[in-house]
Amino acid sequence: MPSAIEVHQLSKHFGSVRAVDDLSFEVTAGRVTGFLGPNGSGKTTTLRILLGLVASSAGTATFDGRRYVELDDPVRHVGAVLEATSFHPSRRAEDHLKSVAIGAGIPISRVDETLDLVGLGDVARRRVGKFSMGMRQRLQLATALLGDPEILILDEPSNGLDPQGIQWLRTFIRHQASLGHAVLVSSHLLSEMEETVDDVVIVSHGRLVLQTTLAELASQAGTRTGLRIRSPELARLMALLHAIPVAYRQLAHDMLVIDGATPEWFGPFAAQHQLVLYELIHERGSLEEVFLSLTHGFDAADPRQAVGQPVGAGWPGPAPMQAGPS
Amino acid sequence: MIAIIRSEWLKMRTTAVPWVLAGIALIINGLLILVYFVGHGDGGGGGGNGGGNGSFGYPNYPHTTQQLRNLLGSGFAGYILALLLGVLCVTTEFRHKTVTTSLLVAPRRPQFIGGKLITSAILGAGLAVLMLVGTLLGGGLTLSVQGGSFSDLLRQVPAVAPGMILVFALFAILGVGVGAVLTNQVAAIIVSLGWFIILEGILVSLFHSLEKWLPTGAAAAASNLTRGMGSRFGLFNWWEGALLMLGYGLFFAALGSVILNQRDIS
Repeated sequence: MPSAIEVHQLSKHFGSVRAVDDLSFEVTAGRVTGFLGPNGSGKTTTLRILLGLVASSAGTATFDGRRYVELDDPVRHVGAVLEATSFHPSRRAEDHLKSVAIGAGIPISRVDETLDLVGLGDVARRRVGKFSMGMRQRLQLATALLGDPEILILDEPSNGLDPQGIQWLRTFIRHQASLGHAVLVSSHLLSEMEETVDDVVIVSHGRLVLQTTLAELASQAGTRTGLRIRSPELARLMALLHAIPVAYRQLAHDMLVIDGATPEWFGPFAAQHQLVLYELIHERGSLEEVFLSLTHGFDAADPRQAVGQPVGAGWPGPAPMQAGPS
Repeated sequence: MIAIIRSEWLKMRTTAVPWVLAGIALIINGLLILVYFVGHGDGGGGGGNGGGNGSFGYPNYPHTTQQLRNLLGSGFAGYILALLLGVLCVTTEFRHKTVTTSLLVAPRRPQFIGGKLITSAILGAGLAVLMLVGTLLGGGLTLSVQGGSFSDLLRQVPAVAPGMILVFALFAILGVGVGAVLTNQVAAIIVSLGWFIILEGILVSLFHSLEKWLPTGAAAAASNLTRGMGSRFGLFNWWEGALLMLGYGLFFAALGSVILNQRDIS
């Protein structure tokens, strides 16, 4: 399957800040690719470089091998919803779309079609200044869809949408992929994307952490377990845990999680040390936890982790459970 | 490019900018006609007497060819509105962050500026036509009431209109150039008005020989397109002045394109 979008060794420096750092990934047609990372990890900059709005310092970002500015009818091939895009407040929704349609040589009839598609048909004649955040987001989506593009780039598209809007957006994105279109959608929340994406590209500090399929990531998450413990004797518990090779994280003044631990191991351990417990919960890892550990635990100084390894090889999260009950 | 220009026109007319400027143009029209007739009545005839003749047997309303041309061309001062039109055509995009969408439609930035140059030139010319029509109607009516001849005024159109239309279009082009360099709307407006209302006048009064090289001098020369007055007051010929004005506009537009090309839109 050829790549609809190819980002190759892309870098962008703002002074001494490396917003994007030697980033490479591909987006395949007919699939939804989640572009995930915490805020400030270089997602928006990458997308803006793809769309020719920001110049790269090095590397390439292309659609079927061509840069955005080199596309003949860019709006007919690539549709984009970007953050910090705005509308003239006194312009009517339909006039905004008409100006794009006329400039891109798209039939004016598409204006009403796309307005209906995003559910703004009734407010077509309203000035955008009176639009809510969610309506603006829908209007942006309508703008992206005007040219019926085969590639969609959506930067945090669910911002400002109500729960129904988010559900609608998910259905919409899946529908686009079913038509054979390539969709690249960024988010700082994996949980928001779990039901939508096929592939994930995870970035942190402008660098690729990993590119894989959601299925692979989920299978990894399923194997990650932890034990959440609430105890009034947390300090003593931590001192005890220090003595053995286990990884744990303190969540609150009276709560911590031991990675990979099981109740079968911890029960006797607590009894042996006469620890008072208030709560003991055996947790299976969620995708979100995997995502957080990938993006927070990622150490940019470790070159092994700069290349996109499949999950399992060189897991960059907290150290897995090493010592068992025996 | 035609698609970009049509899109620009739609973007312009769906904001208040051209309509407010057109409204101001008509108000200026009325005021200038008023000033012209009041001034003429005082100076020409030493107190009019109900549309008859002045004290020396001359009519106290505009009647010579030059007077009629001056009346018809009284809207010339509206060039500053054409300039603002060009400035706003660019800076509005940055002020309201619509530039992102515009650059997704026309990703080549010189093309984006080019579309604005042509659109603004056309709208600037339109503003001149509006002011000419306004003067013809307002001035012509006043003239008729005072006993003058509307058709005499109408006959001056071929002499006055082409130069004025040309100059307005050139000022709109210059405005786009200024806006392309100074994308901050407030800064661009202050610099444009500051230059044309204050700085240029001071420069000319200090160094008179500079006048023909400055935009207003070049524009004044260009306005002689069909009046055939040649180089009055040591100005350039009309075509030299027009080229100089166009040069100023295109220079700033090119500079703005280069700056915009380097600039990250985020």
